[in-house]
Amino acid sequence: MKVRIKEWNAVSIWHWNVSEDEVCGICRVHFDGTCPSCKYPGDDCPIIIGKCNHSFHMHCLLKWLELETSRGLCPMCRQPFQTLGEDEVITT
Amino acid sequence: MKQQQAKAAGEGASTAAKKVTAAQLRVQKDLTELSLPPTMHTHFADPEDIMNFQVFLQPDEGFYVGAHITFEFAINLNFPHEPPKVKCLNKIYHPNIDLQGNVCLNILREDWKPVLSLNSVMIGLQYLFLEPNAGDPLNKEAAMDLQKSRATFAAHVKNSMRGGYVGPEKFDDVLRR
Ligand SMILES: [Zn+2]
Ligand SMILES: [Zn+2]
Ligand SMILES: [Zn+2]
Repeated sequence: MKVRIKEWNAVSIWHWNVSEDEVCGICRVHFDGTCPSCKYPGDDCPIIIGKCNHSFHMHCLLKWLELETSRGLCPMCRQPFQTLGEDEVITT
Repeated sequence: MKQQQAKAAGEGASTAAKKVTAAQLRVQKDLTELSLPPTMHTHFADPEDIMNFQVFLQPDEGFYVGAHITFEFAINLNFPHEPPKVKCLNKIYHPNIDLQGNVCLNILREDWKPVLSLNSVMIGLQYLFLEPNAGDPLNKEAAMDLQKSRATFAAHVKNSMRGGYVGPEKFDDVLRR
């Protein structure tokens, strides 16, 4: 019996290394989804984790930090927002 | 070919249905998660427009018990990076609300942060009516009044809510509806 492969779909499951039910506090979308201005979750729409341990979609957070009214504070705890160092950022 | 058609159809649909903005998505989430006390409820004059609506408050204790207060919420496209704009539609005698209806609530101004929900703003408004704050006044006369004597302030509030005068100023009757 010959089998011809007509179609093949690659399926992979991944999610960010943050707690399962965590949502971005700014857009309220689950971290496995994108921020409202992106279409595809993953490296194009990364998550930023602050030293205060609060995480947000990078795009959501940048939009906030760009505003003068944010005074550079974390949208959650109002401490000055500092990201974890480059090599500490979790991307898998 | 098929893909092109699908794409064209998709584009047509999205322009017809108007693009849903990030602000609208967030407002939608906030509204579905509202859990207001029985003293408050929302009213959408145009159910299609979730960015503009009214909130009714009827305090069941405190200085303003029995009053019917209406707030107007106007949310712009920068929400939640900017707070909603809230106005009190009744002319009332209150230390934190001026005669034009501007509301002084810290989380609507300097203490706003994007993780705050519409629910927390509404609860904050109710709190302003249970505990008016003389320390952060928009109506200085009312604030001084409250600081001097809670009893006199209470009497002035009561009179103002009936549509009476406090000093030279006539206030709205908010006891009837
Ligand atoms: Zn987000
Ligand atoms: Zn994004
Ligand atoms: Zn934080």
